[in-house]
Amino acid sequence: MNRLNVIIVLLILAVAVVISALGSNTAQRIQAGFLGLVSPFLKTGSAMQQRIGAVGQGLKTLGQLEDENGQLAMENKNLKTTNHILRDLETENNKLRAALEYKQRSVFQLVPARVISRDSSTWWNTVKINRGFEDGVDADQPVLTDVGLVGKTTTVGKNESIVLLVTDEICRVAAKAEGTREQGILSGQRIQDSGTSGEMQLNFLSKTADLQAGQKIYTAGVSGGVFPSGILLGTVKSFKARALDGQALVEPALDLSSVEDVFVVLGAK
Amino acid sequence: MKLAISWTSAALTVFFALIIQELIPPVQALNGARVLLVPLVFCYAALAMPTWAMLLFAAFTGFLTDLMFLHVVDGQVEIALGWSMVYFVFFGLLAHGFQPAFLRGHWWIYVGLSIFGTCTFLALQYIMIGFRRQGIIFNDLVAWRILAPGLMAAVIAPLGHLAVKQCRHFFPDVPGEAGGYRPGQ
Repeated sequence: MNRLNVIIVLLILAVAVVISALGSNTAQRIQAGFLGLVSPFLKTGSAMQQRIGAVGQGLKTLGQLEDENGQLAMENKNLKTTNHILRDLETENNKLRAALEYKQRSVFQLVPARVISRDSSTWWNTVKINRGFEDGVDADQPVLTDVGLVGKTTTVGKNESIVLLVTDEICRVAAKAEGTREQGILSGQRIQDSGTSGEMQLNFLSKTADLQAGQKIYTAGVSGGVFPSGILLGTVKSFKARALDGQALVEPALDLSSVEDVFVVLGAK
Repeated sequence: MKLAISWTSAALTVFFALIIQELIPPVQALNGARVLLVPLVFCYAALAMPTWAMLLFAAFTGFLTDLMFLHVVDGQVEIALGWSMVYFVFFGLLAHGFQPAFLRGHWWIYVGLSIFGTCTFLALQYIMIGFRRQGIIFNDLVAWRILAPGLMAAVIAPLGHLAVKQCRHFFPDVPGEAGGYRPGQ
């Protein structure tokens, strides 16, 4: 290696050391600028993916169509029966909604967003959404769907943001178990099995908690925290008492590997 | 001039490789392993470019990769900006050592280096995360997530090499040009 190359190597190493010492805010600002550059391509790619996926889903063999027809006929009978029951329930539901003034009670100011890409890295569970600071989105804001919690925003660009999913190991949420006083810290696992939709661990429960499978887990909403109280996180899969505390394995409320449309919580109404 | 065009083309390829790999879903048959294209593109450039151009390309590739994979949670940066620059410089220097053999037509060197580059990149990332978090956990899934992308690189690399060879027809080498971009023959 000649002298010029040695100088270039040393220069690059010096630059690497300097930028590695940048503060997290500066690093995020640079990343936000970069996201602005790549997001038009990601949005186009995502739209193309959806169109291609729709074509693939539309193509079926004759056998598959026959099977589907049989299933639909059965389903139709079931639906007719349940429809009668649901009509009664709908009337009751409408009455209850009116009574509770549900809309007025909704405290969240929501911004709808669409997932434009999923993190290509192996070790993090994040998605990119098509809303940024121009839409009022800021870092550390909860992201959810009508079913449950998705995660929180980290880096926010002009028209795009990175969302750290609740199934990531470093996304920690104060959580409480339905019907008990048990509270703990919920976090994802470092490596998620591809066969599952991602499992989470609820740690620091009391040893005697004895949570049952199927029990629902909600955000606890600690003061000064990111997540408001009462958002569904998932359901308990199993519980085990450890030497010092109890730990529950929790299945997420929604399949985060296929989530498309989300809401960012900007704050209270 | 030709080197400048080649360098710019390689830079654009890395940029689009970063976007494309973001859009490729994980391969469920390989335990959710992801396809990584950037180490493949860089490896090719390292085997074909002159040293100084390769070093600048390593810095560029590393910086973009870091920006794409930067994760800041609660004010903490998981892996600092700049580490990929260092990684690609050292990987590039190693790959560059095989350049004479590659230019003699031993294209399989590119395949081997692509596998090595992809796996070591992921393994080092994982080790750094392990230090930052609560220690290193190693199990079958971790092995899959590190080795399977290397396996996929072994499949993609020959196709990439073939594609570049075809592209050479559009940009034939100028005989005797110093520092020219000469992909494997």
